[in-house]
Amino acid sequence: MTSEGELLEDTAEDLFESAPCGYLATRPDGTIVRVNRTFEEWTGMSREDLLGRRRFQELLSPGGRIYHETHIAPLLAMQGSAREIAVEIVRADGSRLPALVNAVVRRDADDRPRVVRITVFDATDRRRYEQELLKARRRDREIARQLQQSMLSGALPVAPGLDVDVAYRPAIEELDVGGDWYDAFWLDEGRTAGLVVGDVVGRGIEAAAAMGQLRSAVRALASTGLGPAALLDALDAFTRRHGVGAMTTVVYAELDLDGGELRFACAGHPPPLLVVPGEEPAFAWEGRSPPLDALVEPRPRREAHRRLPPGAAVVLYTDGLVERRSRSLQHGMERLLAQVTASRDAGAAALVAGVLEQLPEGETADDICVLAARLERRRRPR
Amino acid sequence: MGVVRAVERNNVVEHGRAGGRPMLFAHGFGCDQSMWRFVWPAFADDHRIVLFDHVGMGGSDRGAFDTRRYASLRGYADDVLEICRELDLRDVVFVGHSVSAMIGVLAAIEEPDRFGHLILVGPSPRYVDDDGYAGGFTRGDIDELLDSLDSNYLGWSSAMAPVIMGNADRPELGEELTNSFCRADPDVAAQFARVTFLSDNRADLERVRTPSLVLQCSDDVIAPDAVGAYVAERLPESRLVRLRATGHCPNLSAPDETVAAMRAYLHA
Repeated sequence: MTSEGELLEDTAEDLFESAPCGYLATRPDGTIVRVNRTFEEWTGMSREDLLGRRRFQELLSPGGRIYHETHIAPLLAMQGSAREIAVEIVRADGSRLPALVNAVVRRDADDRPRVVRITVFDATDRRRYEQELLKARRRDREIARQLQQSMLSGALPVAPGLDVDVAYRPAIEELDVGGDWYDAFWLDEGRTAGLVVGDVVGRGIEAAAAMGQLRSAVRALASTGLGPAALLDALDAFTRRHGVGAMTTVVYAELDLDGGELRFACAGHPPPLLVVPGEEPAFAWEGRSPPLDALVEPRPRREAHRRLPPGAAVVLYTDGLVERRSRSLQHGMERLLAQVTASRDAGAAALVAGVLEQLPEGETADDICVLAARLERRRRPR
Repeated sequence: MGVVRAVERNNVVEHGRAGGRPMLFAHGFGCDQSMWRFVWPAFADDHRIVLFDHVGMGGSDRGAFDTRRYASLRGYADDVLEICRELDLRDVVFVGHSVSAMIGVLAAIEEPDRFGHLILVGPSPRYVDDDGYAGGFTRGDIDELLDSLDSNYLGWSSAMAPVIMGNADRPELGEELTNSFCRADPDVAAQFARVTFLSDNRADLERVRTPSLVLQCSDDVIAPDAVGAYVAERLPESRLVRLRATGHCPNLSAPDETVAAMRAYLHA
């Protein structure tokens, strides 16, 4: 061992002792065998307290100790190094030193771990900044969620002869909000209802804001009496002109309560599911055209008509309901069909609930939006 | 149901003798199935080795993560049972490290006929102290861990996500990944940590009918000695073996001793 006087002359030793980072060497089990002066100064612990007496992981906060055992130690065993690990070191006075830690294992001639070298960087300012970033990220998610909820809120049309219900089920709660939306409103109070389900590409505030614009645009365009195909043409022009919501898929339908006339148009969206008393529920594959702003030269869009008898229902939904990574689209649609068949006589609320219930757990990587509208029988059935 | 293939969802990897007695290895919170890399080869000659990753970790299908399913350890136990069913595993030797010890306990209670032996490495039925029970941590400690996870997963960027989660078989990408065995989606890791460290499975222990081996390390801060003894005491048919290995991962730090203890138990 060198004396204090020689240390200053010995450049390598001084580099070790006064390096601008804490420096430790430990046995494979964490027992500290060397420590530099910088670490002593930063932590207020002397080498007498540490060498042969303490393990590195014991100097960490309780949370850090768990992290050490579940991440750092395994990494050292498996890949011989761990980099940029954020921990807090508990100083002699009990205060915390936020630190970034790198560690590398040195092995002996028989390839057995001999010593672990650890550098400790003071990350006080960085950690503060990270905390602000994390806070901002959580706030952004919360804002987007509130924005989405406020845009999806609002009364559904209520009238004798019409039963409407909707559900929105977000994917993993911690994820940013998606751009799915539903809407139902009167075109002619008590007589004709407009029904919409759409899906804006992307997630987060941007997707939520685009969804809000398209939702309002559909409402405004619908009130001019365009009808489904022309409405989608106009909505297509809107997305191009304002650069909002390219590749959005949407289904728009108008349901006349008196005659049971359903007019609908689908822009790249999964087909409406029709439930007609006395018939097997079936998808309506007519009235289809590409998603919004998908073609360089847009062509006029198609729409379709069906006359629905009393008691019939239409179900609109987003692709999260039928499309999942672990299975085929066709399978998802068959399952949806089976579920709707099972609850075909139920009211709109039960229909929506049933459709969501048929989703197995563990499979909602995408947001899901469902809207069901049923023409109520005016007379009591036999 | 059988629609979602558990073997794909959980990145099941098999080794060893196809007709041998199955050994199912379950990794704990933090890393992935590579935690068993120094242990399973010792059993490959006469066992069918089955390794997997919990959903959200390693090479599993991140898209299959559902906050509801994995809101408790039950969801993870269901995955274990689904793997057993799909592979038609019987008389299984279940080897669970850390939180997966309790996941195995739950699975064995649910389908006792499926399992021949449980080997529980560093088990803890409850990490937080309670009246008359010293789990080793306070609730505040766990909250602090959850905070520190946020800091540590800052390095997980969305741009890297597909590389990390879906390309375990593309080693050329591995160069770019630091700490690659222990990477996880931050949201998934945070929920797994919460579920793990706030779980309480003490009452489940006495419901286990499967013979069990508890492997207890020295100086394990996550599962202290008294906790290992507690587990062994309450499991109806169990043996406690104390290892000289220190820390929480004897499967990595002392694989020879770990293998020897497992062998001695299985061949006894």
